[in-house]
Amino acid sequence: MIGKKKAASAELNEKTDIKTPVSEMIRKFKKQKNAVVALFFILFLVFLAFFGEALVPFKINEYDYNAILQGPSGAHWFGTDEFGRDLFSRIICGTKISLAVGLSAVSVGAVCGTILGLLGGYYRGIVDSIIMRICDTLFAFPGIILAIAIVAILGSGIGNVVIAVAVFSTPTFARLVRGRTLALKNSVFVQAARNLGASDARILFRHILPGAVPEIIVQFTMSVGSSILTASSLSFLGMGAQPPTPEWGLLLSNGRNYMLTSMHCTLFPGLAIFLTVLSFNILGDGLRDALDPKLSD
Amino acid sequence: MLRYTLKRIVGVIPTLIIVVTFVFFFVRMIPGDPARLVAGEQATLDQVEAVREQLGLNQSIPVQYAKYVGGLLRGDLGMSLRTKRPVITEIGARYANTMSLTVAALVWSTIVGVLLGVWSGKNRGKWQDFTGMTLAVSGISLPGFWVGFLLIMLFAVKLRWLPTTGAGSWKNLVLPAISLGTSIAAIIARFTRSSIVEVMKEDYIRTARAKGLKEKTVTWGHAFRNSMISVVTVVGLQFGFLLGGSVVTEAVFAFPGLGQLLIESVNYRDYPAIQSLILLFSLQFIIINLVVDILYAVLNPEIKLS
Repeated sequence: MIGKKKAASAELNEKTDIKTPVSEMIRKFKKQKNAVVALFFILFLVFLAFFGEALVPFKINEYDYNAILQGPSGAHWFGTDEFGRDLFSRIICGTKISLAVGLSAVSVGAVCGTILGLLGGYYRGIVDSIIMRICDTLFAFPGIILAIAIVAILGSGIGNVVIAVAVFSTPTFARLVRGRTLALKNSVFVQAARNLGASDARILFRHILPGAVPEIIVQFTMSVGSSILTASSLSFLGMGAQPPTPEWGLLLSNGRNYMLTSMHCTLFPGLAIFLTVLSFNILGDGLRDALDPKLSD
Repeated sequence: MLRYTLKRIVGVIPTLIIVVTFVFFFVRMIPGDPARLVAGEQATLDQVEAVREQLGLNQSIPVQYAKYVGGLLRGDLGMSLRTKRPVITEIGARYANTMSLTVAALVWSTIVGVLLGVWSGKNRGKWQDFTGMTLAVSGISLPGFWVGFLLIMLFAVKLRWLPTTGAGSWKNLVLPAISLGTSIAAIIARFTRSSIVEVMKEDYIRTARAKGLKEKTVTWGHAFRNSMISVVTVVGLQFGFLLGGSVVTEAVFAFPGLGQLLIESVNYRDYPAIQSLILLFSLQFIIINLVVDILYAVLNPEIKLS
């Protein structure tokens, strides 16, 4: 009797366990081992971004003229730079900068792109034409060229790099969300909401946007990886972070002066960029596969 | 087919006009006075004004714009403020370098990318697939400039096989082309793989196998041929990105190409050069996209009808 009751409640639980696109995505995502590892690595990076500075053995700008350009050792795991600063500590502290730049630039791009895409896809007409024209124009430039042009106007600096990266990630989100909006606009549940008298804003944000969220998350993750790469490239070119910031691209650019004698100065910052971008890309791949209805369990 | 091609070409014109206008106003937003820059720090106000007049910067923006567009149509891009030579000459001197670097990178990355993609896609879910796709996702995540330094350290410094910097012979192209093409090879591999995976499910592959064709013929004659449409599209689009990506690679190898010229011009606030270069990069990108679209239609007969 009790057993039967349990079975019945289990059945009930299963029924009330509504499958939303997001919960489906999470369930499928858990099966992707690589992506889960990547997620934990990213969480670890986030931890370093918050607490790294307190944990590292040396201060970011702690000069030691008795230990200039030393190779990796027990005291200096990644060696030291031309001022005797500990490279390991500087790279750990640089985590914060790269993550902040990547996340904030793509967040701005995603929010702007999503709003533009919703408006364009929902209202069509002139608004849509203008938005799509702007997107076409932005797409007519290779990303890094557009970023260089924007930095040329605003001046070098990490804040301007964020703006530049945000501008060129906006159209990608706009196109993506517009496509989803067009598809969802005429669906039964949106029509039902409209018939019930829901306002346009309510329809857009409560009914259409949730349908686009999984794709936005995937695109977001992928974009963070490539944005970190672009931002470090700009710093490398001297247009982004300025010394003595321990930004990874800048560390690498600085290290090239000592490439022949101290290769650790270029090796480790590059490795940091590579691993960070790699983990975002693997996570993005995992999320995309989790979203793909064609891939069965 | 001709109608489709013409329609696509006409469709690009508004984008071209917007891009030209955009670049013109964009560059004028760069802070700093170019006339002061050309005249020098020590110049008197009169001298600066004289230079301004000489450069045509004293005219109103609409007049400058009209002159600029007129010049563009005649192939006149103005004078470089930095070198005092026509911008077109500056670009011409370096264009071939960037082009040969880009083409070299595209050729090797296409070959490697396609081979890796077919190899992974054919063995979907097996260790070959895992290896191939791990290599590909790593390739996408590698900073090109870091790869460049690692290559310099290994092949130019340790082994002394190849020169570190400069341009001129094929030897100068090898290392920059490798570092520029790595991420593109990875992207091409990923697309080729997913396209092969799709095609392998088709009935005609089963038929080909049932006929007793060799596996090699099935792979290259049937599966790859049918996945070529998406591969061509990706390769074409990457060509445009390579042109942009060459900026960073050229900085690593001190390679005298358009990218180096752009960086130097930005540092000097050389308006005419910056605007011409940005326009050139964007023009190439637009034209390549157009060619890819048309190629796509040529390869895929379904498109012509619509």
